[in-house]
Amino acid sequence: MTPARPLIDEGRASQADRMLTIQDLHVFHGPIEAVHGISLNVERGKCISLLGPNGAGKTSTISAITGIARATGSIRFEDREISADSVEARIASGIAVSPEGRRIFSNLTILENLTLGAALQRDQAEKGRDIDHWFSLFPILAERRDQAAGTLSGGEQQMLAIARALMARPKILLLDEPSLGLAPKIVRQIFDLIGTLKDKGMTILLVEQNATQALKLADYAYLMSSGRIVAHGTADELGKSDKLMAELTGVA
Amino acid sequence: MIRLSQSQRSGLVGAALLAAVLVVIGVATLYFGSRYQIRLVYSAYVNLIVVLGLQVFMGNARITNLSHSAFMGIGAYAAALCVTPENIKKISLPAAPWGLADFSLDPVLSAAIAIVITAVLAFLLGLFIVRLTSIGATIVTLAVLVIVHAVFLYRTDIFKGNQAFFGIPQVFDLGWVVGIAILAVVVCRLFRESRWGIQLRASADDEVGAAAMGVQIYKLRLIAWVLGAVILAVAGICYAYFLGTISARPFYFNHVFLTLAMLILGGMRTVTGAVLGTFLISFGLEGVRYLETGPVLLGIDLPEALGLSGIALGAVIVLTMALRPTGIMGNREIETLFVRKTF
Amino acid sequence: MEYVIQQGLNALSFGAEYALLALGLAIVFSIMGLVNFAHGEIIAVGGYTMVAFAALAIGNPVIVMAGAVIAAMLASLTLERVAFRPVRKADPTTGLLTAFGVSIVLQNVFLMFVSPRPIAVTSLYFLDWPIEIAGIRLASLQVFETLTTIVVIVALMLFLRRTVLGLAVRAASLDFEMVRLTGIKANRVFAMAFLISGLLAGLACIFIMARRGSVDPHLGFDPVLKAFVACVVGGFGSLPGAVLGGFLLGAVEVAMLVMLPQSLGGMTDAFVFMIVALILIWRPDGILSPAIEKGDKL
Ligand SMILES: Nc1ncnc2c1ncn2[C@@H]1O[C@H](COP(=O)(O)OP(=O)(O)O)[C@@H](O)[C@H]1O
Ligand SMILES: [Mg+2]
Repeated sequence: MTPARPLIDEGRASQADRMLTIQDLHVFHGPIEAVHGISLNVERGKCISLLGPNGAGKTSTISAITGIARATGSIRFEDREISADSVEARIASGIAVSPEGRRIFSNLTILENLTLGAALQRDQAEKGRDIDHWFSLFPILAERRDQAAGTLSGGEQQMLAIARALMARPKILLLDEPSLGLAPKIVRQIFDLIGTLKDKGMTILLVEQNATQALKLADYAYLMSSGRIVAHGTADELGKSDKLMAELTGVA
Repeated sequence: MIRLSQSQRSGLVGAALLAAVLVVIGVATLYFGSRYQIRLVYSAYVNLIVVLGLQVFMGNARITNLSHSAFMGIGAYAAALCVTPENIKKISLPAAPWGLADFSLDPVLSAAIAIVITAVLAFLLGLFIVRLTSIGATIVTLAVLVIVHAVFLYRTDIFKGNQAFFGIPQVFDLGWVVGIAILAVVVCRLFRESRWGIQLRASADDEVGAAAMGVQIYKLRLIAWVLGAVILAVAGICYAYFLGTISARPFYFNHVFLTLAMLILGGMRTVTGAVLGTFLISFGLEGVRYLETGPVLLGIDLPEALGLSGIALGAVIVLTMALRPTGIMGNREIETLFVRKTF
Repeated sequence: MEYVIQQGLNALSFGAEYALLALGLAIVFSIMGLVNFAHGEIIAVGGYTMVAFAALAIGNPVIVMAGAVIAAMLASLTLERVAFRPVRKADPTTGLLTAFGVSIVLQNVFLMFVSPRPIAVTSLYFLDWPIEIAGIRLASLQVFETLTTIVVIVALMLFLRRTVLGLAVRAASLDFEMVRLTGIKANRVFAMAFLISGLLAGLACIFIMARRGSVDPHLGFDPVLKAFVACVVGGFGSLPGAVLGGFLLGAVEVAMLVMLPQSLGGMTDAFVFMIVALILIWRPDGILSPAIEKGDKL
């Protein structure tokens, strides 16, 4: 295997643009180290993709950013070190996540799921407008607003999970495999939605195994394997590299 | 000739070490102890057998059992009903049905019958209990405790309820119970290290994985459950054969919690933990009880403090759960403290 | 006919008390998998608070009742902080044993610092007087108890459906970690659950004390044992299950009292527990078990 490129591409962005900066991150599940010292940047208003096969450590990285998983190393969010903060404090500072497996509250109604997403939102009128906004974007959610969220299809649940995350009006959105297990048509819808969010200026860290689709959207991408970042570059650069295909398909 | 596995052989080493401790405590008490101390140590050994019976099921299947004192009671009453002379039963149980007052057997046969009765009852209940998930099983054991106690209280014509069932021949002394406790330690260790015990512990850690490997979890749980009940019956018999009188009260919640605390403190996963917890709490509580009476210590006249032993017992449970849920011993048996781990 | 109605109303009021207690257990269990056996001692705290008021010669029933409820809520919160926080992540068995430990400690604290013997509390006798409507004889206390339970159920439902924290409590029963990922502080959710649980215990305490007229260290043990049974029968962790289980248990108990011959009177509890065991064997997760796997706890 060829050595990875330099970990931090200093020329890529000026310090000021960086919204999320991770350096030398190690993530642990109990005694097991799942991520072995990775570094990455997410710039304001950009969509950054984290690619890699199953078990590469992508979800672990997301969990470390939200504070769910134990980690060492530096996590800076908007020029503030947050690695010692509690999960709740990190969310309050503007991080929202649509987690792997969606994890909607299936025993709550759709409306209640969205309400919980805006748990920290004080402005009731704003909350109402946001809910209306999402309902107009996803009419199916509006139709079934008072039904248990567990009755939604996988694609609808994913929409709900993203909408729930955005109800918090976050500064950065972490998306963990939003296309996992969905039909191609739905996958396209989800990526369209992510594209729209990006166009509106949302900062996004998109974790995916579906490299083709993710690279269409992403401004920059990191490729992870076995807990390390093995390559990174713009979508064009990575899209042309054999390394990507080799890593993702397991044919090395 | 029974072939023992490697782990069973190291289990026997551990059992021998524990046996040595039990013998030393027993002999020292016999030679130096007052009557009161002998009685105290005897009851510690009975509780040890109870805790061992509890450990067989709880420690290997990892399901909390709250009915153990009931099985101890069943063993005690069954033996007492068989062994007590007719002339005494005629007086104490004048209304006994089914001719229960019209016979008496020798102590060995009585004990055997008591063990069989307890084992059969445990087997029948176990058929249901082993199929339940952990907390559900615990609740059914709680129901068993309440029901058995209610029967003891209700059928005063057989059990005399909260009154003393007296006249049981006092055939055991401290030596007997030390021997039986050692036997129980050996049985528990051999079971723990047997293929059944190992599989059962593995399935408690990972039920799905063990089932996928073909472990028959219900069968193994049932074996541990019945074996535990047999040991509990033996404990009940030891209790009855030493004291000569029994009543329903000692086989209820207080005793359940006391013995549970012993097992939890020492560590329910190991036999060593059971032994250690039993002695720590038995002797520790005795110290606390002394404080309860309001003694004069270092020139300070302490006030009477009823309830101190209860507070200590509860605090032991709470602190163990908070600080070291697997108890003092964790997963370590006594022999691993002496043998250096080799990889 | 009148007899049937009479017994039906008895069953309802028995059930109301069990439902009140069972809800208090279920709300805590639903979010942290803890079978809180120390719930009974929370009730006793309420009872001893009434004793304290009597000692201070405060007889105003509103103050006495409010004081008991507030004391129960504070006690519940305190237990969460001191005893149950360390075992938050632990399995249900560890939690159950901790709760048993707490229960033993508190019972003995009452025994040591107050008295092992029952202490009379007369300030609530006024709640209990006989009523006769159309030939059916009732105690006013039964009516109050049933009404209170109904009000509590409605209020709890509103809280759980209309407030963010209420939604969080419901969501936490499924996936606590995800609730934290919406930014709601876990400690607040736990505190809320224990506060509600304490409130329910405090209310139950008023009725138990008004009926018994005395408090001793074991005041709460039996009622909570029954409430526990109600939870199990209804489906542990399910709030509707707790209510259903409570009323079902009330019905079973009254039926046992009515149908069992006098000579078997002492066996009521045994039969009740036998039915519980049978229900569990028939449906191991209770009648209305929460349908979905519990998510990871914290
Ligand atoms: N909760 C956990 N406990 C133990 N190991 C875990 C846990 N979660 C993930 N792992 C391990 O960490 C590694 C990375 O997993 P993960 O971050 O989920 O990868 P990805 O999201 O890229 O598929 C895997 O080897 C996985 O087995
Ligand atoms: Mg993943």
